[in-house]
Amino acid sequence: MKFGKRLKQHIQETFPDWRDKFLSYKNLKQIIPSLSDGSNECGKSEEEFVCLLNCEIEKFNAFFMEQEEDFIIRNKELQQRLGKMIDKWGPMGDQESDIDYKDEMARIRKDVVDFHGEMVLLMNYSNINYTGLAKILKKYDKRTGGLLRLPFIQMILEQPFFITDPISKLIKECESSIDAMFPVAASKKKRKREEEEEAIVVTGGLVFRNTVAALQTMQELRKGSSTYGHFSLPPLKLPDSDFFSSFQLHSPIAIV
Amino acid sequence: MEARPGLAFQRTGARTLNNHGASGALSSSFPVLSSPKLTDYQEVSVERVPVSNPTDVRPLFSSSSGAVGHIFSSSAGFSSDLQYSTSAPHEKHSRKSPFISQSSNPGATMPLQNCDSGVFKSTASSRYTTENNNDSWCTESVRSYLDGPANSPGVNNQINDSNAVCVIPSEDFSKTSDWQDWADQLITDDEALASGWDTILVDTGGAGPEPQIPQQVSSTPMNFPVQQPQAQQQLPASSGEICTVATPSSSAGGSSTKSRMRWTPELHEAFVEAVNKLGGSERATPKGVLKQMKVEGLTIYHVKSHLQKYRTARYKPEATEGSSERKLTPIEELSSLDLKTGIEITEALRLQMEVQKRLHEQLEIQRNLQLRIEEQGKQLQMMFEKQQKSGLNMVNPSLSNVDKPEAILNSPAKSEPGTLHPEHQPSVDVPDNAIPESEGISAYIKEKQKEPEVEISKDLVSTVVDDSTEQPAKRLKVNE
Repeated sequence: MKFGKRLKQHIQETFPDWRDKFLSYKNLKQIIPSLSDGSNECGKSEEEFVCLLNCEIEKFNAFFMEQEEDFIIRNKELQQRLGKMIDKWGPMGDQESDIDYKDEMARIRKDVVDFHGEMVLLMNYSNINYTGLAKILKKYDKRTGGLLRLPFIQMILEQPFFITDPISKLIKECESSIDAMFPVAASKKKRKREEEEEAIVVTGGLVFRNTVAALQTMQELRKGSSTYGHFSLPPLKLPDSDFFSSFQLHSPIAIV
Repeated sequence: MEARPGLAFQRTGARTLNNHGASGALSSSFPVLSSPKLTDYQEVSVERVPVSNPTDVRPLFSSSSGAVGHIFSSSAGFSSDLQYSTSAPHEKHSRKSPFISQSSNPGATMPLQNCDSGVFKSTASSRYTTENNNDSWCTESVRSYLDGPANSPGVNNQINDSNAVCVIPSEDFSKTSDWQDWADQLITDDEALASGWDTILVDTGGAGPEPQIPQQVSSTPMNFPVQQPQAQQQLPASSGEICTVATPSSSAGGSSTKSRMRWTPELHEAFVEAVNKLGGSERATPKGVLKQMKVEGLTIYHVKSHLQKYRTARYKPEATEGSSERKLTPIEELSSLDLKTGIEITEALRLQMEVQKRLHEQLEIQRNLQLRIEEQGKQLQMMFEKQQKSGLNMVNPSLSNVDKPEAILNSPAKSEPGTLHPEHQPSVDVPDNAIPESEGISAYIKEKQKEPEVEISKDLVSTVVDDSTEQPAKRLKVNE
């Protein structure tokens, strides 16, 4: 599937308040035909293109940093919540049969998992926009025979929205604390695959659905391109690709 | 738990690009370092560029776009020389200064033809004030920790002159080579860079007037507040306090409403501490928190908005932990929870974690691949430019055409003392415009994907060149 289409689909599946924060790939693509191909004509289209690109990048930066800030705050809050639980019931709290404890821990667990998911989706946001930028720049260069791509990409690589290391660090911390707080019991492996899937489909919230969708998007985008070049990524090989594709992502309730 | 490919990338990248070798500062915190490095270094190298040799610059600008190869070579020569032997000071001087303004404003300068020179000048002039602001401390800092030559004081003059005569092709090329240099610098001087992470403030602009936007975006990594010259020296590698992205306007005029702060966990810790000292999030005032935190460059506006977010997060935890749009509708949620037992919910969460972890892993790999690919492309570009230059020096007509990479790779390769190993250079059979590394990279990447833990070989280029001889077979594989 073409990138533009896939991106559109991804946008539709994503959180509502994220939808206008993605790359306006179509708009940029529409400028391409009106670009001059090397002759010394007035560069109005070029100017428009670059202006739009810069606006987009600014948009990504703004959104990304805002989300990042929110995540940092939430991360601290979750840590505090967990800390309070431990203080209240002691480090061996999982021995407690107190219903409040169990409820609160369950809630915390769900919140942490969703939090983790949202952070990963932000990383995905960054990546998908970068991919789009790279593609559109490639098209630009192809059309104009120009050299906008390389320096522009170099600039993009330094933008805050692309530098996802802080978020990645948070994600890893999150993972390790989840593993520590909620160790996975061995009995899970006995469950049948279908049961698992069903459980997921029904109880999985928007975050989870988005994550699965994101993985599928990634896989599709890297399936194989007609214009394979030295800047293209190879196809994505996910060991459980069947598992993921079998997820029912079409919610009976329309995502507004 | 760091993504190994990332680590490996960075390390080998450093080795590949720098004769001096990666410094010991490359540690497991490298991925975190990379961002501050990049941002820091931009500024430093910007100021390094000062061209003390205007005569080198002029001919390039006066040439028409037809003399593409020539421009390539001259800028490339400098940049690649710089890469290969940082002990050759004179080469650094000969770099073109316009790169400062260009790279800080790709939006306005790059695509414009001469008919839009008016736009050029207006944006260029607003950049000058920025450069002026930062010039003094930058020059100082640069001198103090760069082992380069003394910087010429005539930075801004250079910018003025060269901007006035800007021609698109030369800009592009110089920009290309300069970006490469920057990347090289990033990796060569990671110590100095690492020290720049802490308390370095850079503000990024919000939406400004049209000509401002390109500036803000591209100069985001590049400007630093004037008041932080020493900070770069002292900071530990992995801690990050503030990293905001600056616009020329904000650093020059202090209009903080347009600046955006990039908060870090450490900074937030300091914030929370300050708030607690002042009696909690409700009682604390932005002014008080600002005073308490004592972080340079932090404005009351930053604190205010952050405090607002903080308050919301504390008193409406349901709202922030997945806002209402993100959760299932209440009906759905209730019924789903009722139907399933606690164990199944746990199971669902476990699976959700798995999927999320998987996505994260893949994103990391993909990102590192993308970085690597761009790096490769850049290196190759540099190589070509270098060959162009030496090709022209040899007065060899067959090498003057950029479209014949195989000739370029073949002949000067053996004399190239850089990262390319001459002995790995068989006669490269390259199709017309394809770059030989494409198949090499893809095959290489494929392997990498299977074994993400495998460290990338030191000299990726030579590996790639090796692979390129098996092109036809690999190409088939890849296109399946």
